[in-house]
Parts: sequence; structure tokens; C-alpha cells
Amino acid sequence: MEVRSNPAADYSSGHRRPPAVQSKQPLPSPQPIDTSSVSNRLQKELMALMMSGGDLGVSAFPDGESIFTWIGTIEGGKGTMYEGLSYKLSLRFPLDYPFKPPQVKFETMCFHPNVDQFGNICLDILQDKWSSAYDCRTILLSIQSLLEEPNLESPLNSYAAALWNDKEDYRRMVHKQYFAGEALES
Amino acid sequence: MVSDSIAAVPIPSAANTKNPGKKKRTNRSAKLKQYKIDARREQWLSQGAVRSKGCKDGVDDEGHAPPSPAEKHIKRSLEPLATRRRGEEDDGLIHHDSDSESPSNCPNSCNDSGTNFTGSSSGGSSSSSSSSSGGCCSGNITEEEEDDDEEEDEGDDGCLDDWEEMADALAADDKHQQSPCSDSPPAVQTVLPGEMAHGSNFGSPNSKPESGSRLVPWASGNNRAWRADDAFRPQSLPNLSKQHSLPNPDRRCGGGVPWVRTSMPSSCPICCEDLDLTDTSFLPCLCGFRLCLFCHKRILEQDGRCPGCRKPYECEPIETEASVLGGSLTLRLARSCSMIERNQYRCGLIQSQSMNNLSFLLLGVLMIGS
Repeated sequence: MEVRSNPAADYSSGHRRPPAVQSKQPLPSPQPIDTSSVSNRLQKELMALMMSGGDLGVSAFPDGESIFTWIGTIEGGKGTMYEGLSYKLSLRFPLDYPFKPPQVKFETMCFHPNVDQFGNICLDILQDKWSSAYDCRTILLSIQSLLEEPNLESPLNSYAAALWNDKEDYRRMVHKQYFAGEALES
Repeated sequence: MVSDSIAAVPIPSAANTKNPGKKKRTNRSAKLKQYKIDARREQWLSQGAVRSKGCKDGVDDEGHAPPSPAEKHIKRSLEPLATRRRGEEDDGLIHHDSDSESPSNCPNSCNDSGTNFTGSSSGGSSSSSSSSSGGCCSGNITEEEEDDDEEEDEGDDGCLDDWEEMADALAADDKHQQSPCSDSPPAVQTVLPGEMAHGSNFGSPNSKPESGSRLVPWASGNNRAWRADDAFRPQSLPNLSKQHSLPNPDRRCGGGVPWVRTSMPSSCPICCEDLDLTDTSFLPCLCGFRLCLFCHKRILEQDGRCPGCRKPYECEPIETEASVLGGSLTLRLARSCSMIERNQYRCGLIQSQSMNNLSFLLLGVLMIGS
């Protein structure tokens, strides 16, 4: 836990700033960025998510003033090793969303082969397999299903990948890290 | 045969169906009517040869019974029309009387198709209104053209000074008459129950392509669209029946009426803006994923992949298939792709034509639906 607390602190301090720089960078791009159409779409997504997301065990809501930063929640699927756990994620939508994917990170510590200690997620649809037809809801559902179906080929957390077949130990690690993270927050 | 029917329908018999109130027409109007009847009979006789075939082929089997032995049939088929007219004529227009009751109109009522395309001379000015009244509730373009025709024709008649005046009144009545007739084209409605709103336009636009050469537009209410095998179907009309063999032409083109499409997203899934008519007829990818042109352009500038299936836009998906799948499937995909494009092009064509002339579009609806 101490191991994590430091990077987490670094991460959270560096987390807010670099994106501000990054979001400036796309601005000089040839395309004029229509912020209103992006926020229009995000508002529609929010509406859709509030209407249906709760039933699926995912939810999200803008974090603070900006509609470009959301906090999402994923509940571990029933019958999985994440059952009963609720994970928080941050979603940062770029100004050229949905043509570019949002940055999605676990805010709650998550023991998973494809999630690193900083909460970064290795998921193809958030990178090269992104499609502008995806939205917040499908992202969260994809991450939810990733929890129980990890890609062990390219793990960010090789310890978790190694432990995956040992269900008991794996479950214990999942809970240990989850509640450690909660204790850290409170 | 046709000339028989003309000769056999005397004016008095026409008067039978006339509203009693009409009988106090002035001599002048009767005279005028007589002029017109004579002129029309001449035209009719000159074309009897051509038209009689149409009456035999296309009309008798449809129960409209043009020839003389069936004069009662004629009256019967005109009955709803006449009754309806009576109410409308209360505002004092003679011309509709002569439309539905003059001898030359009786054969006309049998089928819209014959005259409009066989006829080559002008005349029958007042009866043009009857053709438009038959099935049109919204064909404004058509009406105006017809009105123009009427006035020209009437000028040709050159009989009376107040002729123009009456033509104006007729035109006014004409427009007024459009609305109550929306239920009149039964053929269209039975063929395409789902598109009644559009189907009711059929009556008049059908006669439009030849509006310049229209001789005696027929008293209608029995308006029918062209059938594919109709002997008098003009060659110029697009033959949309081919599209039956194309993959899902109805779904992709909305059966020629893009705005009736049902399975169309109302807004672009990417930017959430409403799709306009151009966007809705835009199908960039075989997978069926639709988006607005702006988003499509923007994606092309970036990775150029369809958001719905992630395959690159344009021809590349087929090449990709070629490496994975057999040659025959590739060929098939290529063909269906080109067909879709052609289809879309045709839809666009129909749409643009419909700006000037509704008949192509409406005909397309009927042909696809039948």
C-alpha cells in the first residue's frame, strides 16, 4: 500500500496538469474544434447512461463543472471474483471526442492483469481499436467485462496474470487491494 | 369504338347527371360548351385509332367500360365523381359539368394513360382540371402547369371574351378541388397502403411528363399509375421494377421515398446532430452504419475506418476480404457494393427530379410497391 501511495500521489498531482497541456496541443490542428458539438454528444451520452446504465452495473457522471471529465463506476459482475466490489474510474474526453478515445483510468486500485498500479487500463478499444461509435456506456461495459475476461497475453500486472489461475489467491488479492485502496481514500 | 362512344353519348344524357341547379345556365355557356365539345370530338376522332386500343387493352379489364354499350357503366363509374362535383360546382362553374358529362369525357374516364401520351394536340382545356382533381391533393406544381395549359388552350379556342375570366375561376376552383379528392385513387392505396400520403399524389403527376401534349386529360377518380406492362406506358418513365432484384432496394432507398424510411436513425450517432435528407440517403459502408457527411469526412481525414465495423471506407474492405475469403465472395461483395452505389445514385436522381416533376418519384413508389 505504501508502494502504491507514492506513485498515486505523483500520479494525481501530475494527472491534472498534463492533460491540460495535452488538450491544448490538438487545438492548432487543421480542424476547427467544435466544442459545442462534443458537449452536445456528451450530454446525450449522459442522458442515455442515466436512463439505462444503472441496470447494467455501470454509471457515470460529470466530475465538477466540465462535461469533459467524468467519474464512472463499475460494479463487479456477479459470479466473478470482483462481485460485490464497486470501482471508480475517471474518464477524460478529448476535445475531438468521439473521433479520439477518452482517457480512462481506474481511480480505485484494481488488481487485474490489464490494469497497472496507476490505474492505467490496457484495453484495445481505448487505443487502436477505438471507434467513434463507442460511447461512455460501451466503454464502461467493456471494462466491466474485461474484469472477468482479462487478456493474459500482454499483462500490465504480470503478478495478477500469473495468479489468475489460482482463483482463491487471486480473489484474496483483489479484495486486499480494493479495501486497501478504500482505506487509503478515507 | 371510341368514336362510337362519343356519338352515342348525347348531351341530354349528360344532363341527367347534372345538378338541377345547373340547368339555368345561360345560353352562352351552353354554346361555349358546345364549342368545346365539338373541338374535342374532332380531336377524339383524329386519335380514335390509337386510343381504341388503349380502351380495349387497358381499360375494359379494369371495369371502367368506356365503349358505347357500357354507357351506364360510365355513368356509374363517374357517379362518385359527379356527386362530388355537384357540391363543388355550387360556386357556379360550368366547366366541371362539361368535364364529367361531355361525351368526349366518357371514354376519357376509362383510363388516364391513353390520352395523355397519345394525344398530341391541345384542347380540352377545362377537362384538364378533372385529371388533376382525380387523385391529387398536393401536386401544386402540376396544378399550376395545368392551369397554364388551360389558359393557353382556351386562348386557342378563341370563342368568348369572358373565357379567360372563367378560366381564372376554374383555376381557383381547381385548387379548391384538390383537397377533397385525396381519397380518390384507390389503386394507389391498395398497392401501397403504407404510403398513402404519397400515393395520393399520383393522379396528376402521372400525366405531367406529357403535359404539353396532353389532349384530353381524363375525368379521373379512377386514376391509376402505369403498370409495367401497360401498352401506353411512356418509354421515358424509369423502369423501377428492376430494383426488385437488387439487394434490399426498399430498405436502402426507402422504396424511392427516402423520407418514409423507418429504420433510419434520426440523428448522427457520432455528433448527435440531426440527419438531413442528404445524410439519410448516404450509406458509406456496407455494414449499414450511417453517419452524417461531416463526420464521415472527418473520419476519412483520420483513420478512414467505418465506426460501425472498423473496416476502412471505400473499396478497401473488399480487398481485405480478398485476402481472407475466396474469390467468388469477393466478387459478390464488389458487385453488391457497386449496386448500392448505383441504387443511391438512382435515389438521388429521383429525388432531384421530383423537385421539378413528382411523377418519377411517385411512379417509383408505385412500381416498387406493386
